[in-house]
Amino acid sequence: MMDFLRANQPVFDFFLLALGFAYSQQIVLRCGVFSLATAAFAALGAYACALLLTRVGVPAFVAIAAALAIGALAGWLVSVPLAHLRGVYQAIATLGLVEVIVSLALYAEPLTGGAVGLNSLPKLVGTPELLIAVLVVGYLVHSISGSGLGRSFDALRQDEMVAASLGISSRRNHALAFVLSGAIGGLFGGLQSLYAYSVQPTQFGFAFMVSSLTAIILGGRRSLLGPAIGAAILTLLPELARPLAEYRPMVNGVILILVVVFLPQGAGDTLFAAMRHRRARLAAAAAVKV
Amino acid sequence: MLGQQILNGLVSGAIYALFALGFNLIFGVQKVLNLAHGGVFMSGAFIAYYAVVSGLPFWVALLLAMLACGLISVLIDVLGFQPLRRRSHADSEFGAIVISIGVDLILASLAQRMSDTKVLSFPFGTFPVEFFRGWGLRISLLQIAIVLLVALLLAGLVLYLQRTSFGRQIRAVAINERAAALLGVSARAVYFQTFFIAGSMAGLAGVLIGLSFNSVHFLMGEPYMLKAFVVVVLGGLGNLPGAVAASLLLGILQTMTVAYLPAGLSDTLIFSTLFVVLLFWPNGLFGGATVPAGIGRQ
Repeated sequence: MMDFLRANQPVFDFFLLALGFAYSQQIVLRCGVFSLATAAFAALGAYACALLLTRVGVPAFVAIAAALAIGALAGWLVSVPLAHLRGVYQAIATLGLVEVIVSLALYAEPLTGGAVGLNSLPKLVGTPELLIAVLVVGYLVHSISGSGLGRSFDALRQDEMVAASLGISSRRNHALAFVLSGAIGGLFGGLQSLYAYSVQPTQFGFAFMVSSLTAIILGGRRSLLGPAIGAAILTLLPELARPLAEYRPMVNGVILILVVVFLPQGAGDTLFAAMRHRRARLAAAAAVKV
Repeated sequence: MLGQQILNGLVSGAIYALFALGFNLIFGVQKVLNLAHGGVFMSGAFIAYYAVVSGLPFWVALLLAMLACGLISVLIDVLGFQPLRRRSHADSEFGAIVISIGVDLILASLAQRMSDTKVLSFPFGTFPVEFFRGWGLRISLLQIAIVLLVALLLAGLVLYLQRTSFGRQIRAVAINERAAALLGVSARAVYFQTFFIAGSMAGLAGVLIGLSFNSVHFLMGEPYMLKAFVVVVLGGLGNLPGAVAASLLLGILQTMTVAYLPAGLSDTLIFSTLFVVLLFWPNGLFGGATVPAGIGRQ
C-alpha cells in the first residue's frame, strides 16, 4: 500500500491541486454565477506568492496567506462591476479578465519574468500541505452546504427571481461567492507555485479554464464529493489509459460531451441523487412493512 | 506609415469579420456560445492545406474547405446542441458551452495527430505573390482578394438574411422560435442553414489566415476565438452590422497597438477594452439588438 502511494505520489498531488481549483470553480457556479475567473485568481496567487518569497523574503507561510488574501480581494473587486451581468456575459467578462492577467504577466517582464516565468523557486509544499489545504477547503464547502448560505446559493442558482422575492440578496451572495472563489483560487495558486518550482503565464490560459470547468461538469455543481470525482477522473484517466495518452484531449472532449448529454447534473451529483432516491424508497418500504 | 497600418488593420479586420459573423449568427439564432467555432476555423485551414498538397487547384481547395467546414458545423449542431434543445433543461446555456469545448478539444486533437504537432505552411506559389504600390501604400494581391471576397460574402449574407424567404425564417426564429414554429417555419431547417453558413465562413477565414500568415497549426483557432469574443462584445451579441464594424475596429486597433506600443501590451489593451465595454455598454457600442438588421432573441 505504501509502495503504491509512493509510486503514485505525483499523481495524487496533481489530483489535490486540481481538486482545489475545482472547489474554487464550484462555489461560484453553485451560486449561479458563470465565472471563469478561477484561472485569474490562481495566477494572481501564484505570482504573489512566488514574488513575495523570492523578492521580499517573507516566510512561506506568510506568502501563502498573502496569496489567499490577494485572491479574496481580487474576487471582491471583480464582483462589484460584474454585479449587473448574468450568464454568458459573466463568462465573457471573466474570460476577458483572465486574458488581461495573463497578458500582463507576459508584459511585465522585469517583475514576472515574461514568457519564461519565475523559475527555480524553492519547493516548500508537498503532499501533506496540499492535503491539509484540501481538507480545510472541503470542510468549508461542507459547512456552507449545510448552512443557510448554501441554501441561498442553491436558490439563486435555480431561480434568481424567486430567490430575490424570498429576500435573498443576489448582490451580497454573488460577492461572497466571488470572494470565496478568489480566496480558494489564490490559495491553491500560491501552493502550486511552491509545489512546482515555477510559475509560467501559459499555465493559466484557456486550458486551465477548460480543465477546472471540466472537473465540475464531470463531478457536479452541488455536492462536496462531486469535484473530487471530477478531478480524480481528469488526473487518473491519462494514467490509466496510457495507450490513449496521445489522444488525451480527444478522450476528454468525448467524455465532456457524453456527460453533458447523458448526465446533465454531473456524474457525482447524479450518483448521489440516485442514492438518496434509493434510500428514500427503502425507508418507505420499511415503513409500509411496520 | 500610419496609412499602411490602417490598411493592414482593415484587411485583418475583414478576416475577423468573417470569423466573428458566424459566431455571432449562431449566438443570435440559438443563444449559445459556440466555442467550437475556433476548431472549425482551424479545420478549414487544414482541409485546404491537405487539398493543395494533394495537388488540387487552390480555388477548389478553398471551396472544399468551406463546404466541409459548413458540414462539420452542422454536425456539431446535430450531435451536440440538438439533444440539449430537446431536453430544454434550465441551464442548457452552460451545457452548450461545455459541449462546444468538448468538440473543440476533439478537432484540435485530430489536427494535432494529423500534423504531428508541426506548423504547416502552404507550398510556395499557392497564391501569386504580387504587390501594388500607390499613394505611398503597399498592398498585396492576396490582401485585395481577401477584401473583395469578404465584401462579396457579406453583401451576399445581408441579401440572404434581408431579402429571401429563408433569411426571413432565420430572423423569425431568432426573434421567437415558438411563434415562428406556429407559423410553419421549420426550426430544424433554420438551424441547419445558420450552422452551415457560420461554419463555411469560419472555414474560409481559416484558409485566408493560414495563407496570409503562411502557417497552419492545430492551435491556430484559439486566439481567433478569443478575439471573436471581443468583436461580439464591442458590436453587441447578435448584432451583425455591429460585428462587422467592430471587426474592422479591432483589426485597426490591433495593428496600431502592435506597431506603436511595447510588445505584449496589445492583448492587455484589447481585453481590457472588452471588459470595460461589457461593464458600461453590455449591448455593444452600436446599441445591440435594436438595430433593424440585428438578430437576437428579445
